[in-house]
Amino acid sequence: MKRYFDYYRATMKLSVLEQLQYPVANYFYMIGMIAEPVIYMVVWSAVARQQGGMVGGYTPGAFAAYYIVWTLVRNMNIVFTPYGWEWRIREGQLSMSLLRPIHPLHGDVAYFAGWKVVVILLWLPLAFVLSLIFKPELNPTLLQGVVFFFAIWMAYLIRTMTLSLLGMVTFWTTRVSALFELYFAAELILSGRLVPLSLMPDWVQKLAWFFPFRWAFGFPIEALVGNMSTSDLLTGLGMQLAWILFGVISVSLIWKVAIRRFSAVGG
Amino acid sequence: MHGLRLAFNYLRIGVLNEFQYRANFYIQILQTFIALATGLIGLNLVFSQTDQLGGWSKPELLAVMGVFITMGGVIRSAIQPNMERLMEEIREGKLDFALTKPADAQLLVSVREFRFWQLVDVLTGMVVMGVALAQMNWVITAWSVAGFFTAIVMGAVMIYCFWLVITTTAFWFVRVHEIANLFEGLYAAGRWPIDIYPNWLRIGLTFLVPVAFAVTVPAEALTGRLTFQSWLGAFALTIFLFIMARSIWKIGLKSYSGASA
Amino acid sequence: MSSVISISKLAKHYEVPEREAGLKAAAMGLIKRRYKTVKAVDGISFEIQPGEVVGFLGPNGAGKTTTLKMLSGLLHPTSGSTSVLGFEPAKRSHDFLRQITLVMGNRNQLSWDLPALDSFDLQRAIYSIPMDEFKRTRDEFIELLELKELVQKPIRNLSLGERMKMEIVGALLHKPKILFLDEPTLGLDVTMQKRIRTFVAEYNKRYGATVLLTSHYMADVEALCKRVVVIHHGRLLFDGELSALVEKFSAFKTVGFTINNASVDWTQYGEVISTDGARMVLRVPKEKTSAITTRLLNDLAVEDLTVEAAPIEDVIESVFAVKEETME
Repeated sequence: MKRYFDYYRATMKLSVLEQLQYPVANYFYMIGMIAEPVIYMVVWSAVARQQGGMVGGYTPGAFAAYYIVWTLVRNMNIVFTPYGWEWRIREGQLSMSLLRPIHPLHGDVAYFAGWKVVVILLWLPLAFVLSLIFKPELNPTLLQGVVFFFAIWMAYLIRTMTLSLLGMVTFWTTRVSALFELYFAAELILSGRLVPLSLMPDWVQKLAWFFPFRWAFGFPIEALVGNMSTSDLLTGLGMQLAWILFGVISVSLIWKVAIRRFSAVGG
Repeated sequence: MHGLRLAFNYLRIGVLNEFQYRANFYIQILQTFIALATGLIGLNLVFSQTDQLGGWSKPELLAVMGVFITMGGVIRSAIQPNMERLMEEIREGKLDFALTKPADAQLLVSVREFRFWQLVDVLTGMVVMGVALAQMNWVITAWSVAGFFTAIVMGAVMIYCFWLVITTTAFWFVRVHEIANLFEGLYAAGRWPIDIYPNWLRIGLTFLVPVAFAVTVPAEALTGRLTFQSWLGAFALTIFLFIMARSIWKIGLKSYSGASA
Repeated sequence: MSSVISISKLAKHYEVPEREAGLKAAAMGLIKRRYKTVKAVDGISFEIQPGEVVGFLGPNGAGKTTTLKMLSGLLHPTSGSTSVLGFEPAKRSHDFLRQITLVMGNRNQLSWDLPALDSFDLQRAIYSIPMDEFKRTRDEFIELLELKELVQKPIRNLSLGERMKMEIVGALLHKPKILFLDEPTLGLDVTMQKRIRTFVAEYNKRYGATVLLTSHYMADVEALCKRVVVIHHGRLLFDGELSALVEKFSAFKTVGFTINNASVDWTQYGEVISTDGARMVLRVPKEKTSAITTRLLNDLAVEDLTVEAAPIEDVIESVFAVKEETME
């Protein structure tokens, strides 16, 4: 156990050091990313004002809060892409990591976790500026803050698992862009990224319960921005934990099969 | 007109090249389909809560989306590929051909690449526009048709100039290719007419990034909102941007070849 | 002494789709795919004892890298057995992985933007090396390769040779018992090649590690390996001492001498390889060497007569030219 802790610490330190070399690139990326939620925010605030100040339970201020927190959660959701899996198999990077006495997925989780630390630091001033401009309504309780902190890291793990599963498809075929695009489209709609899920028709909201998407995106935002009851908050954390467990088990099983195939065909 | 003929030849080769990759056609269809579906879902969500937005009705916003998709197709088929290739060549110092061919360098670098399959978007956008116009009980007037086509051309030229200016700064700043990400995000703002954006954002969008001009003005033409003033304003801006872009390009090219400014 | 690497009838076959050129073949290909079996490795066996430094030779595509990948657990054999340090490599147990290292010339493990020291620290964590032992080993290697000033510089600021040195240090920090080195001196200048060779030899001496080395540079093999294994067309062509290889496969020797008479028809003695002023070098069939040298000494006024084995490069070339059908 201790050696895993040591490994994570060392890897995270390395990735923090590496990412601190590229503050400008990281910022450009983050700024390009806020265009999306700002547009959503503006549109829905306009709708809300049109309808007398509120729509779907959200005021313009609440929308502002939702979409500003969105930017942090979106960043926490960025993990090794399934396209990256195809790349690293092809370039032989996967072989190199297979030679080490540690499961390559630990490398992914640890490296991106370190990166996230840098991202969070860079995000704070950005969030401050956005708050000045858009005046969000945000009064979280201490419990909400604590739940949020855990929720965003669990969201990160959930998305790591789901995108790893997706990425492992490339062990069998490389003609996968169609699959990936469809996946991302479904995720966009069912996760709470496009709109808060409460604005979706009922049947969509019910559908969203069956997928991990909302637990990696909508739930952390709602935990901080909304007014969920304590039991709802804790149930939410529990659901996240359940999805992580399910993800870890699935990934381990598929990985075994994938590696057997990889070792048969070579890379 | 030797330069034009040369440019046309580049174009022809580019298109023939694209035909080799038929798989790209299917991928493009899928991407267009997904983008359209997502857009329609977004539009319907908004209109499940209200019946007009910023003075625009649902079919009118559908027309905006059609223009958005079409313009996006034009950008991704003709403008962006050339600019991205130019960025790479500036970064790697491979622009010598531009200085040695007997044709205008700006023309050459602007037409070499053409992603044929992105035209699917242009087509899809026009279909969406058609559906929207039918729902609006559209009345054909010469002004709206002429206004629309000229606005589209002006919009494309404006976006081209914007891209060219950004790309030309690659002569001085190295990490310009992240701009491509930025543009994608900013262009998405064109999905909605600029009327719904707060004033300060509107100014940023129209003058800093002529996105709104490229999408809103043609849409205004289609929906009968286009005033002569707006059209004139767009025209003036187009001319201004074109001159500015060409000047900056010339300066950049000079600095690349080591000549004094 | 039981062997530390042992492979027996190891084979690796691939099924590759086969398609002829032309429109008709392409159309047929849509209906029925034809497959061809490529035998990358076709039944090789050898044993390596602890502490040996073995050269693994063969032309491109002979099956060297495939064999190394099977020995390090990256590929599953199609048939046959392998055993490294008593482990089955394909099982990739962590205890196994901790004792081996695979260094491939063009694959980098170290972080590009950071000084090597930072990457070394990560290696320590990966292999769970106790801190004081890690520091000792690291400093020892840094000194051996004279890297003291360089370890603080970001990897991207180092030359190719310096980078390779760093990669090798990083690969050996956990003091593996088995070293698989795949073209470790590829693309390096002569001085750098020598440094790396010396380092590997020193590591082998100090830690008794077993080294399996592939290389295109005969200088590597000559300097480090007493024993060579030659593999070609996926099969074992030779396994023994380097000198024996030369003996077995060279059909020629070179005879050099000094003479002041240029108007001799040399074809009756042998093939002229070079003339440099008064110095001549002839290539003669091995078995006729003594006869020809005797005739030279009798017929002409030659001086400084030398007889040498054919250069190893030539030998290897003739080894690699062996056709698949003529093997075994």
